[in-house]
Amino acid sequence: MHPITRLHRTTIVARLAAYLYLLYKLPEWGRRLRGRPKPSEAELAPRHAKAANAILATALRMRGVIIKMCQAIATRADVFPPEFVERLKECHDAVPPKPFDVVRSAVERELGKPLDAVFAEFDEAPIASASLAQVHGARLLDGTEVAVKVQYPDIDDIVRTDLRNMERACRVYERFDPQPLELLPLLKELTTHVGFELDMEREARSADRVRAMFADDRHVVIPKVHHELSTRRLLVMERVRGIKITEKEALEAAGLDPADVVQDLMRVYVQMILAAGFFQADPHPGNLMVTPDRKLIVLDFGLSKELPEGYGLGLFELMFSMMTLNESAMVRAFLELGFETKTGDTNTFLLIARRMLARSETGTFEGEFTEEMTDELFEAIREDPVVRVPSDFVLVGRVFAFLSGIAHTLGHRANVLSAMGAGPPG
Amino acid sequence: MSTAATLASSPDRLTYTRDEILSSGDYDAPLIAGAVRCHGGFDADGRYRSPRTVHRAPAIAAWQGRLAREGAPLVEIPRALMPPQYPNVEQATLLLKHGVRDPIVRTLTIISIVEGFGAIIRDVRVPELSEVVVEPVEGTALAHLREGLFEAHARDESGWKDEGGHKQMWEAARDLALEKPKVPGDVLMRMMGRNAGRQKRERPYPQLDEKLERMLALMAQVLVVEVFAEGTFDWGIELLSNPEVSAEPEAAGAMVRHVRDDEKPHVEYLRTALSEIRTRTLRTVDGATLPGREVVDGMLHRILREVTRNRPREQREDIRESLIQSMQVAANPKALLEEFDALESEWTPPGRTGFERASAA
Repeated sequence: MHPITRLHRTTIVARLAAYLYLLYKLPEWGRRLRGRPKPSEAELAPRHAKAANAILATALRMRGVIIKMCQAIATRADVFPPEFVERLKECHDAVPPKPFDVVRSAVERELGKPLDAVFAEFDEAPIASASLAQVHGARLLDGTEVAVKVQYPDIDDIVRTDLRNMERACRVYERFDPQPLELLPLLKELTTHVGFELDMEREARSADRVRAMFADDRHVVIPKVHHELSTRRLLVMERVRGIKITEKEALEAAGLDPADVVQDLMRVYVQMILAAGFFQADPHPGNLMVTPDRKLIVLDFGLSKELPEGYGLGLFELMFSMMTLNESAMVRAFLELGFETKTGDTNTFLLIARRMLARSETGTFEGEFTEEMTDELFEAIREDPVVRVPSDFVLVGRVFAFLSGIAHTLGHRANVLSAMGAGPPG
Repeated sequence: MSTAATLASSPDRLTYTRDEILSSGDYDAPLIAGAVRCHGGFDADGRYRSPRTVHRAPAIAAWQGRLAREGAPLVEIPRALMPPQYPNVEQATLLLKHGVRDPIVRTLTIISIVEGFGAIIRDVRVPELSEVVVEPVEGTALAHLREGLFEAHARDESGWKDEGGHKQMWEAARDLALEKPKVPGDVLMRMMGRNAGRQKRERPYPQLDEKLERMLALMAQVLVVEVFAEGTFDWGIELLSNPEVSAEPEAAGAMVRHVRDDEKPHVEYLRTALSEIRTRTLRTVDGATLPGREVVDGMLHRILREVTRNRPREQREDIRESLIQSMQVAANPKALLEEFDALESEWTPPGRTGFERASAA
């Protein structure tokens, strides 16, 4: 990256950081001078909205890792106010594609040869564009249809610069604010995840690993990777086609029962998360398709995660204890999963569990972590920052919330326990 | 004896409240499994008394007595259909003696989880029986399914609030016998097996109210599981009571015996309720009727055929793979495998389930 571009990006981040700092601090200083009480969350809401708007605008302008940061914030309702979470969710769909010339040169650089030496056809319009890469349809010289995922040029450099800038901004913020949001751990987590996503060789290995997991299952499709054409920045995969998982009418028109689709989806994710401890952690509807002969296609293994050994059993125990209202088992499960309280008082876990249960439709846990329950968990923790949530749990909670959202779109429930073979009772 | 208990013991009493069905009475000493307070407890003579049986046990006896007076037989699942445990007691003992613990720890953990899953029975949607059954159901087990019987069953299996159930009792038996072993990380993977959760939702009796059909299918399935669990209890008691391989043979064996005692009311209420359905007529959604016997026997026949035909072979294959892997910790894995295989018991499922005739009618 050119030094001037680097300086430019640094300036933009610094300006945004200064704007955010003053947005919150100027009124605060004024309040102290006038001896007024601390503002309530409701009074702060317009300020949060302004801040979120500024962050979103900067992210869409700069792209790269700032978009990733926004996406991460949008999943952390346990840390950030709802105004941030809601507004920054828009980052998931708002990334415009790069021009084809840029894509062509990036692909050719990775292949070390011209496009037409490898591909008979290459679609100029992308299938999808995201913060770090975009995907194009193509056909190899032997006629094989493929999907080509290529990273944006200089993205490595951009990410490094942005992460460094964000870290500086976080450190400055933490120095000036006596009770700061815990941004540095979040940034560390983001750095790890972005590192995963920038390594397409890792993504290829992750896809291979999940494909092997379902090798005996002809109802699960993980696109094969053309390793000989793939690099750290380029991924050439089998092109697969199916119906987007949330298109209920199209599924029904193809003769598929949405209940079966939900059952298959849950079985695959429960097997990855609870049983195998390695999973594709980005189950948004764009990454999930179904074929008319009831095969589930899972795409995009950029964000795949390995859980510590025994984590699946710990999650199961938490769900089980919630189902049976066994509070001592709930506390044990929270602790085993890595939850911590700063004071050592575990009653906070029970309050959180009770709040989650209160948000379920029946007031009891019937095997489904709904979006509402996950939101309630994070909301409870944000209000009572005594509790620290392990990042693995955040990711898993987010995945189950996504799955629950998909299941509800299809008119069903994302029942984890029945996906394990425990039902459904009807 | 309390007034309530006197009333409950009357063979004429056929109607109970939900609270009565769920009541346990007092114990002289609680059952503690590991560090967990479990359901049930001991009387003054040190005898174990199952939970929630003060009224439930005499109630079931009374409903069964009524059926007998009406000349209706109780559904009987032939024990000959029960597939053997794999590995059997001799094989499991051999493994433990050679320090191959993972397969046994895995099996005991899976049993505890599956027991816990029994709690799903509380989520069964019970239809308005007067709308789907022609004859009256007052004073039957059927009328008490959602008046405590399903809930009691669920609580027995998975525990309730801070009181452990069979899940925790099996865990305790495992931990007592094998001294709190490390649970293999792949236990859920093994449990889910090849086809967990991908069953096609079939409707063998689409002419019935869907809720009724699902409820009866689940009850028939659970009854078969509960009856076949006898084999698991015998296996667990014999293995975990063996001082050669068990660190706490008396306590571990006793824990499994308590679970077996607790399971008896489950088998009995399920066979009673299904037998009551067999004596009745079911309304179909198009206004016609269907003999209850045809439906119950048809369901039992399908389930028994499935669990005796393919499942034992599939389960054996799934277990065997990890079993051979685990044997690698032994001094001579090859010799151990040969000795292990020599202890295998032959089993051929009987050709008939005993429910063919009515199901074909």
